[in-house]
Formats: sequence, structure tokens, C-alpha cells
Amino acid sequence: MSTTHRAVPARIPAVLMSSAPAESPVLEREEQAVTAMNVPWNVVVWDDPVNLMSYVVYVFRAHFGYSDAKARKLMLEVHNRGRSIVFTGTLEEAETHVSSLHGYGLWATYEKAGEH
Amino acid sequence: MAHGFKRTRKGIVGRFEAPEVRLLQKLFSDVGETLEPEAREDGSARNDDPLEALLGWDEDVAEPTDPAVRRLLPAASSDPDQAAEFRRLTDRSLRERKTAALRASSLALESEPVVLSVEQAQDFARSLNDVRLVLASRLNIDSAEAAERVAELTDFGRAEDVEQYMGVVYNFVSWLQETLMNALLKTLPSR
Repeated sequence: MSTTHRAVPARIPAVLMSSAPAESPVLEREEQAVTAMNVPWNVVVWDDPVNLMSYVVYVFRAHFGYSDAKARKLMLEVHNRGRSIVFTGTLEEAETHVSSLHGYGLWATYEKAGEH
Repeated sequence: MAHGFKRTRKGIVGRFEAPEVRLLQKLFSDVGETLEPEAREDGSARNDDPLEALLGWDEDVAEPTDPAVRRLLPAASSDPDQAAEFRRLTDRSLRERKTAALRASSLALESEPVVLSVEQAQDFARSLNDVRLVLASRLNIDSAEAAERVAELTDFGRAEDVEQYMGVVYNFVSWLQETLMNALLKTLPSR
């Protein structure tokens, strides 16, 4: 039963995309770490005239676990500059965060670091 | 008149009049319907391969034609190929996650007063936010100026047409979400 339940999070794209580990999973993790160091990905949140500031601060705090100060700084950056990089990490992590942020109704995209 | 949400020792509590409950439930169910997957161009239903349904992804998923749905399920990348691949992998689960939150929020409104756990309150906040995104799209709120124009509409009695009525509804939902966010922010550690 618990195995069936564990299969459900396969909806998350990051899990689906790394779904063919014929080799040792440990080795794959090391490869991913190297890739992550070479090419980090940014999660960008874009400004819109609808989302409440309090809501955006709450999402940054609850989802990423950021401090109140950091969440407010990022929210104001979105508000004043039109966009803010709220997370940097591997492609898989970036995709998962973007999916979660869309779940919250925030307008989020991911891009290779330095592309903007 | 609604009192908004407050954080109490029992949870996050809101008190509503019957017409307000009916209005919110109607909005939640309307947004839920808006989120039903669109039929394909050839008229056939969405991919119903049981394995793909289980995994939560589809063969190909077009960008939504309804601008409101496009805002609820936005493009995840400026690279069209990447955005299409992301949509293929996440579209179904995102729609399901949102409709589940809308249904749960509608159900929570059946109690008087409405008492929410933090998780239920998060779902409620998502649902109110999705309602606001859809209404904002219908009201063409695409700039700060447009948002200010709509913000002046606060009296149901003075709404003269459907758009003005929708504007008053938008402001009511915005006010309610603000009270909910203030209550939810108090549940986080102060740092």
C-alpha cells in the first residue's frame, strides 16, 4: 500500500524526467551535482497587478522557508523591477518550484542563470 | 457583512452571511469549471490512456485558448519547446491540484463559523487567488491603473452593470483574501 502511495508523486516533472536510472542511483546523483554546478537555473517570479503583496510574501515564506525580511525583499523586487530571481539550483529543482508556484497562482518561469 | 478571517486558538476562523457563502461557492465552482481540460482541436476528448492518466501527463497539451486559464496555467519558460514540454508534464496535475483546493474550500464554507487548519487555509487562499485571477482577466485588469479603476467599485447596491458587479465581487474577494493572508502570516515563526 505504501509503495502505491509513493508512486503518486511521479506527477512531479522532475521525477518523471529522471525515470530511467539503469545505472547506480548514487552515480546519477553525482552527475546531477556536477551539472548543477556547471549550469544553474533560476526561478523567476514576474509582477502582475492582481496578486496581493501579503499573499506573495506568504508564498515565499511558506514554500521556500525564507525569513520575513528575505520574502519581503523579493516581493518588493518583483513589484518594483517587474521580476525577481527567487531561487537558483538544478533544472529539476527549478521545474518543481515553478510547478508549485503555478499551483499558488504566481506567474513563474525558469531560465538558465545568466540568460536574462 | 462578512467579518473576514481571524487567527484564533481553534484555527483560522471566518464568519459569513448566507449570501456570501453562496457567492463564494458559486465562484469556486465557476473557476473549477473553467479549469476543466479543453477538448482537442479535432473534437476528441483529452488523452485517456490509463497509464498516462496515472502518471499525470499527456501526449501533447496546447496552450489554453481562454486568457483566464492561460493566467492560471502560464507558460513556464520563454523557450517555446521548453514551455510545451513543461505543460505536457504538469498541465493535468496542476488543474487537478487547483480543482481539489476549490472543492475543499467550497466544502469548508458549509460550516458556521468556518474553521480552517493551516493547510485548509492555504487551499482557501489558493482558491481565492485563482478566483481573483479569473475575475481580473475578465475585467481586463492588466495594469496598476486598471486595478485602481476597479478598486473604486465597493458597493453592490450601486453596481449598474455586470462589469461593475464583477468589480465589486473582485474587491470583496480581495479584501477577504487579505484578511486570510494576515491570519496565515501570523502562523509563521516571527523572524
